[in-house]
Amino acid sequence: MALRTFKGSAPQWPWSRRLRRTMLTSLVAVGLAVAVGACSSGSSTSSASAGSASGKVGGSLTVWVDSVRLPVAQAYAKAHPNVHVHIVTFDGDANGATTLQAKIQLWNRTGKGWPDVIFSEQVNDPVWMAQKPFDFAEPVTGLIKQSVLSQWPAPSTAQCTINGTQYCVQDNLAQVVLWVNKKLMDKFGYTVPTTWQQWAALGQKVATQHPGYVIGTSGESFSHWIYFWGNQCPLEQLQGSQLLINTADAHCTEMASLLDPVIKDGTVPPLSVFTPDFAKKYGGADDKVLMMPGPSWYAQAVFQATLHIPAGQMTAAMPLQWANETPVTTGQVGGGPWIIARHSKNLATAADFVTWATTVFNPTGANARAGYPAYAPLASKWLASLATNPYFAADPTPALKAAASLIWKGWNLVTYPDQPVWSNTVVTALVAGKSLSSLLPAFGSALGQAAQAAGYQVTR
Amino acid sequence: MSSPALTSAQAEAAQPRGLRAARPRGPRVPRGLPFIVPYLPFLIAFGIAPMLYALDLAVTNANGGVTGFHNFVRTFRDYRFVPAFEHILLYTSVWLGTLIVFVVGLALLLHGRANRVSATFRFLFYMPGALAGAASVLVWLFMLDPAVSPGSFLLRHVLGAQLFVQSIAPGHLPFVFAMIAFWTGAGGWIVVMYGALNTIPDELEEAARIDGAGPFTIALRLKLPLIRKWIAYMIILSFATGTQLFIEPQLVNEASLGLVPDTWSSNQLAYQLAFRYGDFNAAAAIAVDLLVIGLLAAVLIVTRTGLFRREG
Repeated sequence: MALRTFKGSAPQWPWSRRLRRTMLTSLVAVGLAVAVGACSSGSSTSSASAGSASGKVGGSLTVWVDSVRLPVAQAYAKAHPNVHVHIVTFDGDANGATTLQAKIQLWNRTGKGWPDVIFSEQVNDPVWMAQKPFDFAEPVTGLIKQSVLSQWPAPSTAQCTINGTQYCVQDNLAQVVLWVNKKLMDKFGYTVPTTWQQWAALGQKVATQHPGYVIGTSGESFSHWIYFWGNQCPLEQLQGSQLLINTADAHCTEMASLLDPVIKDGTVPPLSVFTPDFAKKYGGADDKVLMMPGPSWYAQAVFQATLHIPAGQMTAAMPLQWANETPVTTGQVGGGPWIIARHSKNLATAADFVTWATTVFNPTGANARAGYPAYAPLASKWLASLATNPYFAADPTPALKAAASLIWKGWNLVTYPDQPVWSNTVVTALVAGKSLSSLLPAFGSALGQAAQAAGYQVTR
Repeated sequence: MSSPALTSAQAEAAQPRGLRAARPRGPRVPRGLPFIVPYLPFLIAFGIAPMLYALDLAVTNANGGVTGFHNFVRTFRDYRFVPAFEHILLYTSVWLGTLIVFVVGLALLLHGRANRVSATFRFLFYMPGALAGAASVLVWLFMLDPAVSPGSFLLRHVLGAQLFVQSIAPGHLPFVFAMIAFWTGAGGWIVVMYGALNTIPDELEEAARIDGAGPFTIALRLKLPLIRKWIAYMIILSFATGTQLFIEPQLVNEASLGLVPDTWSSNQLAYQLAFRYGDFNAAAAIAVDLLVIGLLAAVLIVTRTGLFRREG
């Protein structure tokens, strides 16, 4: 949990090179791996944001960011010489690390030390930050103009809204699409599946015709956000004061039965793409990734930076449909929010920073933002430059754009981390050869225990 | 001492009785005080005071109201409490068992060797311990990954692991953590035990040899009983360290992207309760549980081995 402190625009750290060579990819969390591709700060527009509500912008500002957001903070500091920006980077770990909780508890106990702005990789962080005992987040309504806030897609705003008040703005959207290796698909003569059933059937075909290739993974700590969120499985659904966790729901059991054969035949291995084992077996120039359902940020963070899949192979296809069910829904993995501290003595500048970071900052070329910008006007600009990115075998933007509005709304963000529960109750057992269907009840009760410990009233 | 007559008789012979009996027995406290004064403020500030603070937190609620044993009952009923203590119990038994057998065994073996050989081995044994706690765990993360480990054939054949996730399968964990802790801590204790063995007067060993004792008899029936108190001391300290396991499971939790629960050990559970749930009172209750367990073990060992008993 080492903290690195940067002042203003400090020199760049050669993260990517170091990460690539070592096993650190498995030591750092998902988030840091996300950073790999996008760590160098580039030239950015220096126009001031006009979206923050009135107030004098200046003075000093302390911001906590992960390494991916470091360039944003540095660019803001450069563009705003009148603001003394103090940047602290931290691990935005999803997998049990409690950096932010521990820090906020300590600041609350000592009554000082709070930063003005925090970026978190954990999309659910604002949920606990807005409530007791943390009481950290300041509502953004009133700080950022309503005309600006309304440009975020409704599901994104909903995820930032806790008990009726909006406490954050998301930096990026993390809608799940089907990533496809077009070059390999063409070579093998396969057509891109449009339904989960076609996808699984193709997996079984791949296992016999081209063993060693994968069509997804089940070993991520967030695999259930890809498969179960997308298929409307109620694993965290708020119904009034109750939290519904029902792994016996048909949407859950169907998906588990669909996945079991492909997990067993090795085309959806219980391995994380961020482990050296995965990169060794399936990455590199002769990559074995045929398809992979995954969030929008997989393009740079996983295929380009972690697996080093060469340019001209990958592209995005539409999220998979369940049989002929409509409307098509998809999952989400990420969507990191910006949160302003209610303890900030410089709220106007904090709001200006957040507005600038989400609505203005949009470098191009190699320094482009790694994630799909959540702020719609910025997303269009970002998509336009992505469409011509030579890394992709075909234009990935239509699928990404369409998926952005398909995120299922029945999955609510909760205060406790549910991803480690998937890792340590499901993935470890999948590795040991158990079937996903047989693990669902245990997964449900483990989620229930975690929810109850966090103070939720759970309906099973 | 319950050791063979040979040993105690010789030991007494080596320490003439008259010497100790003749020592004046004045008031001990004032005389000892200057020796402990430099330590006392630190003991109070960093040992006694936090302990009292934990005790206070454990029997109160967030608003400071006295709740008696409520926090203890509450934490005991937590679904993570029993598994965490089970893990710790298994881990501590495995680790303490190997620690006692190997540390004492290796120290006795070394003590029988020629000086240069034993110095080399002492250094070798100490080496892994020279890495600071967290750093050594990081090294072990590489050791446990069959893809990069120099001991990958061991991982494949002993643990049956082809992948890192298989190395750290739940059933392996107490043994894996015990192995990490053993290699990072054993070297230091071997040096301590070696030092203890050096305090045994040469005449004793010589007398035993004249009486016809071989190297095994000397090691087991002469040297071992004489370093019994050092072993007891090692057990007390190691037991406390063992039950307070934190850094190994914590780092493996982060490195494995959550495959190992973040409440694997009781100390981790206390940490999570304090910082994830803001429940410092429950965390304090678990800390007090650990304190009580450590104290009980210490009392048991002290009374059973006569650690503080003075002969003469």
